[in-house]
Amino acid sequence: MENTLKVSDLKVQFYTRRGIYKALNGVDLQLQQGEIFGVAGESGCGKTTLGLTIMGLLPYNASVTSGQVILQGEGDLTASLRESFSKGQDKFNLKQSESVTKKLNKQLADIRGRRISMVFQDPMTSLNPVLQVGFQVAETVITHQPKSLAQRKLARTRATREDLEQILKLLKTGADEQTISKYAESKGLIGIESQVLNVWRRNDLGESKKEKIIISLHSEKLGSFDKIVLENVEKKGNIPVWMRIPGLSRAAKNVLLREGYAKATELLSMLEVPNPDKVVRMYPHELSGGMRQRIVIAIALANNPELVILDEPTSALDVTVQAQILELTRHLKARFNTSFIFISHDLSVLAEVCDRIGIMYAGRIVEVAPTEVVFKKPLHPYTRMLTRAIPTIDGGEIQGIGGTVPDMRNVPPGCSFRPRCPDGDKCKDMKPEMVEIEEGHFVSCFQAR
Amino acid sequence: MSETELKKRKWDNTKLSLSVFFSNKTAVVGLVITMIFVVDALIVQFFPQLLGITNVGTLVPNFTNPAPSPPSMTHLFGTTYPGIDLFTSMIKAIRIDLFYSVLVVAIGATFGSLIGVISAYVGGLMDEIVMRITDVFFSIPYLILALAVGFILGRSLLNMSLALAIVWWPLYARYTRSQTLSTKEFTFVEAAKASGVSKVKIMFKHILPNSLPPVFIQISLDLGSIMVIFSTLAFIGFIANASVPELGYLTSLGLGYVQTAPWAVIVPGVAITLFALAVNLVGDGLRDVIDPRRRS
Amino acid sequence: MRLWVYIVRRLLLIIPTLIGLTFIVFILSHISGTNIILSEYISPKLTGIARQIVIQKLTSEFHLNQPIYIQYFYWLYQILQGNWGFTSTPIFNGQVNTAIALFLPNTIMISVVASILIWVIGVPLGVYSAVNRDSAADHTLRIGSFTLYSMPIYLIGVVLIILLGVYLKVLPFSGVVNPVSVSAVSWYINGISYPTHIILIDAIIHGAWGIAGSAFLHLILPSVTLALAIVASMIRILRSSMLEVLDQDYIRLARSKGTAERTVINLHARKNALLPVITLFGYTVAGLLGGAVVVETIFNYPGIGYWTTQALLVSDVGGIMASTLLFGLILVFANLIVDLVYAFIDPRIKY
Repeated sequence: MENTLKVSDLKVQFYTRRGIYKALNGVDLQLQQGEIFGVAGESGCGKTTLGLTIMGLLPYNASVTSGQVILQGEGDLTASLRESFSKGQDKFNLKQSESVTKKLNKQLADIRGRRISMVFQDPMTSLNPVLQVGFQVAETVITHQPKSLAQRKLARTRATREDLEQILKLLKTGADEQTISKYAESKGLIGIESQVLNVWRRNDLGESKKEKIIISLHSEKLGSFDKIVLENVEKKGNIPVWMRIPGLSRAAKNVLLREGYAKATELLSMLEVPNPDKVVRMYPHELSGGMRQRIVIAIALANNPELVILDEPTSALDVTVQAQILELTRHLKARFNTSFIFISHDLSVLAEVCDRIGIMYAGRIVEVAPTEVVFKKPLHPYTRMLTRAIPTIDGGEIQGIGGTVPDMRNVPPGCSFRPRCPDGDKCKDMKPEMVEIEEGHFVSCFQAR
Repeated sequence: MSETELKKRKWDNTKLSLSVFFSNKTAVVGLVITMIFVVDALIVQFFPQLLGITNVGTLVPNFTNPAPSPPSMTHLFGTTYPGIDLFTSMIKAIRIDLFYSVLVVAIGATFGSLIGVISAYVGGLMDEIVMRITDVFFSIPYLILALAVGFILGRSLLNMSLALAIVWWPLYARYTRSQTLSTKEFTFVEAAKASGVSKVKIMFKHILPNSLPPVFIQISLDLGSIMVIFSTLAFIGFIANASVPELGYLTSLGLGYVQTAPWAVIVPGVAITLFALAVNLVGDGLRDVIDPRRRS
Repeated sequence: MRLWVYIVRRLLLIIPTLIGLTFIVFILSHISGTNIILSEYISPKLTGIARQIVIQKLTSEFHLNQPIYIQYFYWLYQILQGNWGFTSTPIFNGQVNTAIALFLPNTIMISVVASILIWVIGVPLGVYSAVNRDSAADHTLRIGSFTLYSMPIYLIGVVLIILLGVYLKVLPFSGVVNPVSVSAVSWYINGISYPTHIILIDAIIHGAWGIAGSAFLHLILPSVTLALAIVASMIRILRSSMLEVLDQDYIRLARSKGTAERTVINLHARKNALLPVITLFGYTVAGLLGGAVVVETIFNYPGIGYWTTQALLVSDVGGIMASTLLFGLILVFANLIVDLVYAFIDPRIKY
């Protein structure tokens, strides 16, 4: 099976006034579709940088010096970044890196939010304080799937009561998603099936209530202006050309926006946000941390991406919310087969959800293995010390790891962990490579062989 | 950390600060130009004979030849009405402008900062009253207020400076007040209080040094603005005395001849602009040094 | 509903400021002695016995024999009634109220035009400068705005006069209209135009396009000078505010959604970046008002500022105090409007 994402020998550095900071020193990673891959490590080991590089969201003073990030079907995402820096930059040129970043943003705009999306660490600063949260969710849907939005609304307008009663019958007899989609398609009602299913799958309503709601989705009214806009979007993907003058275009975009808000409400209810229709019109500062994080997750998932990168999604939240978010992740993987890269410094959190875990140290991944294996048979000395440092119910003394993360400006040759490693001598000058010790278990350490 | 290690840290920091400042080429240029102005003022103050200047505090008109004449060998920058040599007048004027501007900033900044810090630290009713007072001062455009106050005090250079200082202090009070308010919340102040340090000592030893660096930047930026405002007031005719060497006043002398003798207005105006520019550049450079984000 | 509460509360807050303002003006006029009231409120045309009578009347009206703090209230009472005294300057001699009615419209005219210019030029340039940081255009803009910012406003005016008025002879730079063109016009008497006292608007009302054109041309240089003096600092502030916003996490999130860069800048970033600019607009208005004084003097434009400098030159106390009070009032209300607009725009302000 082809990898959804393949990262090979990725090297990223940052230019600062105090020297060149080497954040990633050759990261290798392969991700399959539908798996939750955890990335663990201390602060400063480069995990966030890894996530940002995959998305292409590095700050101006960063440069990808070598390596590739290959997304299935898209090729190397960082190609243009490296092209411009191929002259071996030791000095930092702000203007050039700015223009490169701009080009990159343009290139990746199509992929971001549609095939890969990211959830950042701090929900408080991730949302735009002057825009309603519903807008921020709707925006991503409008950007990537305007047609489907138009279809949704138009389907509701075209559907007759009989159509919906028929769909309801199908649902009750246990038809699956595909059957219902086919039925909808056959009646020219594409876009109705996801709305129906979303209501059907809700946990907070009784069955009769759900039936009522589903039936009520028929024959919705539609003004003529709205109709023109939506039909054009359905066919051509954008508002009609003649409407693109200042006053009109705003009104036309608002038509789409209204449906976008409806979709946002749907997404929020799926994420178990109470009163989603009210929340959608609120501003970020009016919501709690847990709610905000759910909004950010809703934005990340809105277009059903193949890969979602979660950067410490629970670190800024309290434990109960943490549990909910983890449950959500499992649920989404089960339902949509989305792949996740889950970045965290907390191994115990990763233990709960991940299929495989990669341990990062000083800009490299030093061990990769299925979750159980990591905890039962850690091979790298660092991994061993990490697993011993987790507090457990049966008590026992926690062993900390002495020393500190090396200064990333002067990375010593050989294994970067050596100064803190209890054993190890061959790795003084030679960097150990990633070797598959047993099936699915990779380590980069001479000791393990 | 030992004494020597602390000293080394401080020296490293100073080196970094200096290198940040001097790597900023425009700031260095600004510094050089500012120094030229300062040197000029000092020379005129203490050794006017060096430049051949006799009447240090007045303009020397030449009524036999009152019409402005263009730059020439005898008059490097030309003359303005009535027959006043621009070059020597400007050299004299720089000293006056610089002196009074520094005076304004010194009085306004000192007075304002003290009030701001005390008001913020003491808080309560006093703080409210001070805030209201500064509000009132802010409700009148600074130029107008300076005009009115100066008018009442009497239309002289000194009173103009006093008027400007009176107009300017609320700005510093507000500024230092907000700085103090945020520093006050820092935990190290809590720690000091918890260990029983007296209120006054806290204020002077902990809060003031932390609030001061931004104030210095503000002062360096204000110096230029004050000089510009000062010359603007003189330009619109504030000063009753008709022969004070002052850059704004010099400019106004040439106003009636703007069509035939543009140099008469341009030259003094450029001098003021140059000084303000230089001082602003230095202030920007200082801001780069102090603001930790811009250091990397 | 709660917005009205906020408005009312904000309005109430003005009252102490207004009291303080009037008090300062009152105190200022008293520092040199109680006779200021007399000189402010006696029509300069009166002499002899008539003058004595008026002095008597004023003394009782203003209670000049009472201590100062009592006098304040009587003076305030007169002010609130609209009796602001007399002014006697070369360009106008008479009641302050009339002077204000005649001159204020012109000042408003150039201030409004200048404000429009500032926003229309300043905002796009500031945004562009931040978005294209360190480009050639950005460097030029920074140098240009920095220099403008360091120039005294009178120099900007003078340079414009020299460039456009003298060398290129494109624009007029004195007065408000070409005097020849209005010499035989019915609605223009003694330098005053009716009904709005703004020549440009009155000319349009009366359909006199030639005069309107001349008035328009005379309007350009003063307004542009004012605008240039202020737009420089606005561009700097907007640029740094925009740069700070662009560094924020939510901008990164917007990009991670795949939003078009243009939308990221114009929608997500700009709205946040403008907030501090609006807060500082209060200072901008202060600068506009002070600048109007200088600009009107240079261009002989008959507005409040011109009247103020004239009063200064002839030591007309009444005029100076009245104009100080007027400027103060304008600024207080301008700040009020700015605060309200800001509360309306920023959703984080809870009312």
